[in-house]
Amino acid sequence: MAAKITTFEPPSSASSDSDCAETQADVSEVFPDGELDEERSGDYYTTPASPITVPYCPRPPSAGSQKSPKARRQRTTSINKSAAKKTATESVLRTQHRTIYTAGRPPWYNLAGQQVEPFIIGICGGSASGKTSVAAKIIADLDMPWVTLLSMDSFYKVLNEKQHQLAHNNEYNFDHPDAFDFDILIETLQRLKEGRKVEVPIYNFVTHARDTQTKTMYGANVIIFEGILAFYNPKLLNMLDMKVFVDTDADIRLARRLKRDISERGRDLDGVIKQYTKMVQPAFNHYIAPLMVHADIIVPRGGENEVAIHLIVQHVHAQLQLRGFKLREELAHSYVGQPLPDTVHLLPTTPQIRGLHTFIRNKDTPRDEFIFYSKRLIRLVIEYTLSLMAFVEKVVETPQGVCYNGKRMATNKICGVSILRAGETMEQAVCDVYKDIRIGKILIQTNFSTGEPELFYLRLPKDIKDYKVILMDATVATGAAAMMAIRVLLDHDVLESNILIVSLLMAESGVHSIAYAFPKVQIVTSAIDPEVNDKFYVMPGIGNFGDRYFGTEPSEE
Amino acid sequence: MGSSDPELLSTHENCIEYGTNLKILASNDQVKELQTILRDRNTSRSDFKFYADRLIRLVIEESLNQLPFTDCKVITPTGATYNGLKYQSGNCGVSIVRSGEAMEQGLRDCCRSIRIGKILVESDADTHEAKVVYARFPENIAQRQVLLMYPIMSTGNTVAQAVNVLKEHGVKEDCIILSNLFCTPLAVKTVMDSFPKMKILTSELHPVAPNHFGQKYFGTD
Repeated sequence: MAAKITTFEPPSSASSDSDCAETQADVSEVFPDGELDEERSGDYYTTPASPITVPYCPRPPSAGSQKSPKARRQRTTSINKSAAKKTATESVLRTQHRTIYTAGRPPWYNLAGQQVEPFIIGICGGSASGKTSVAAKIIADLDMPWVTLLSMDSFYKVLNEKQHQLAHNNEYNFDHPDAFDFDILIETLQRLKEGRKVEVPIYNFVTHARDTQTKTMYGANVIIFEGILAFYNPKLLNMLDMKVFVDTDADIRLARRLKRDISERGRDLDGVIKQYTKMVQPAFNHYIAPLMVHADIIVPRGGENEVAIHLIVQHVHAQLQLRGFKLREELAHSYVGQPLPDTVHLLPTTPQIRGLHTFIRNKDTPRDEFIFYSKRLIRLVIEYTLSLMAFVEKVVETPQGVCYNGKRMATNKICGVSILRAGETMEQAVCDVYKDIRIGKILIQTNFSTGEPELFYLRLPKDIKDYKVILMDATVATGAAAMMAIRVLLDHDVLESNILIVSLLMAESGVHSIAYAFPKVQIVTSAIDPEVNDKFYVMPGIGNFGDRYFGTEPSEE
Repeated sequence: MGSSDPELLSTHENCIEYGTNLKILASNDQVKELQTILRDRNTSRSDFKFYADRLIRLVIEESLNQLPFTDCKVITPTGATYNGLKYQSGNCGVSIVRSGEAMEQGLRDCCRSIRIGKILVESDADTHEAKVVYARFPENIAQRQVLLMYPIMSTGNTVAQAVNVLKEHGVKEDCIILSNLFCTPLAVKTVMDSFPKMKILTSELHPVAPNHFGQKYFGTD
């Protein structure tokens, strides 16, 4: 895939996380899930699971130690050819000297389900000053996932025919503020700051237009925004939590530029010098250098400056810690003994349902029976869930010659989203009752050291915002995983009132937590148990549903 | 089932009119949609079978609720006690050929190894008199609870003949539960007058029965 890349490139490089399924061109990016494009149809898009998205060492390209990116999902789009030089393994990113484990994303919202804003670092500096390598070093040193890199290069204006010709003759000024589309840039960064999914344009430096594809960015705890004029617009400046100016000597910048443009991009010396003296250098003096006053930190010598990077990383860690909190523990101990919220829909407790619960709760039930009776119960829960949808009156003709006053579902836009792993057990039932339903998946796992849920992976139908979403998890204890999944859906612009969280068994505290944070989300379950124990299992409960269903429970000593 | 639900009022009225042995599946919009699709003459056969199977599953699940059970306690994997209940063994299904067989799979999906008997009742083309021509039951059916499956009842004659055969084999009238999808008030009255102790579970009481069910389900229309 790397061969398809267009090589012409403006002053700085762009790279950033994510992809969308239809993004065929551009460079591949490392990604932890090893699947290959099973949904290229365009019906699905993917969002980064853990977007460590920065080329670790984009310039110079690191040779060797590289697997074919073809075997991997195409991830980032970047116009920088050297960004393709990356390796991928199942769950780790290997860079030159270190391995970054792509852990899940811890909660990014508070108890009330509201967003905690991500931390935004702005990096400004002249062309070829080393902004990208500073960003890459910061990401490597942060040693945490869910870091997104947004580059100003994605936001160049679309050029008309005349400008395009100028650009071809090295006469278009890419370093002038007018070359950037600040409106879209501000909107994009604002949405990212709100934790929402954004579609970042892909700028094609050959046609000087935006590609029809975009790259999807979602889910950052830290956003690094870099560009030559990153501090130019006051609105942008306001959004930045930390401002870094990379101050590299003009001679070095020119030297790097010459080297890059001539040896890597095959351009001639005269053209490069002309562009530099006519546009790059004056733009730096007029627009970029004065921005230094806004900086919190000025980093001389760019990415080589270990001390400066270390200081930056320390500050970010401290800031993130101030914002972090333990969600699950707080959830487990709230709202004891209050009446159930009215968004809760508890299946009528018939003898059959109690009988089914008896089978699946019994620790001595063999697995084949456990699966069989779980499936029966799941089917009932899903049938009940469908009955909560909106219906409209409809009169139909019958073969008997009389009309029948019936009802049909008001919408056909229903999709299922399962919370892996236990929620997956409910997918079959949804498919059995609703023909051709689209199924999305969200993988949330508990971090054993913190006990907090972490987001690892997600894949949702592309236009999910138009859908009623049946969100499935087999059990809900504290509600922490369910809340994370709901938050993900909301970030993808699903209406809160269009979400139904469906589960076999919930703990009372989980029900209250969800209803408190998301009062419009409908909650469907077949039983509500009173307690959650100190391991966050529901009491009396079912035990670990996923383990029992899939047969992965630890052997008993 | 949640008796305060306003949707169930009609069910209660029916129960008062016909006695407590008639049970109607708690109606909700979803069930209504299934019934609408099954009654719609424009429904394709593949849809018809798909939605018929869904409605059958719901009716079977509800029929199973009528079976006797006892309380029991079990220990959950977390070490806590759950107060559950246990169904008695010794149930069986009996389907009335042909359309009753459409419901067998639904029963199998709920009770994997249940015994299923069959009755073939044929109507005389001239006299419309129902006659049993074949019956095959589990051996000790007299000691069992019997789930009699027949989806459409318009006159009730076929079911009446089938119940007679069951009684001849020693099945007690109050041990028979009829699982039915669509039924006319006339049929309910006929059957209940003849067999007052038998339980009837249906999803809808409506003066017009969708008699095309068997043909469309099996594709012989």
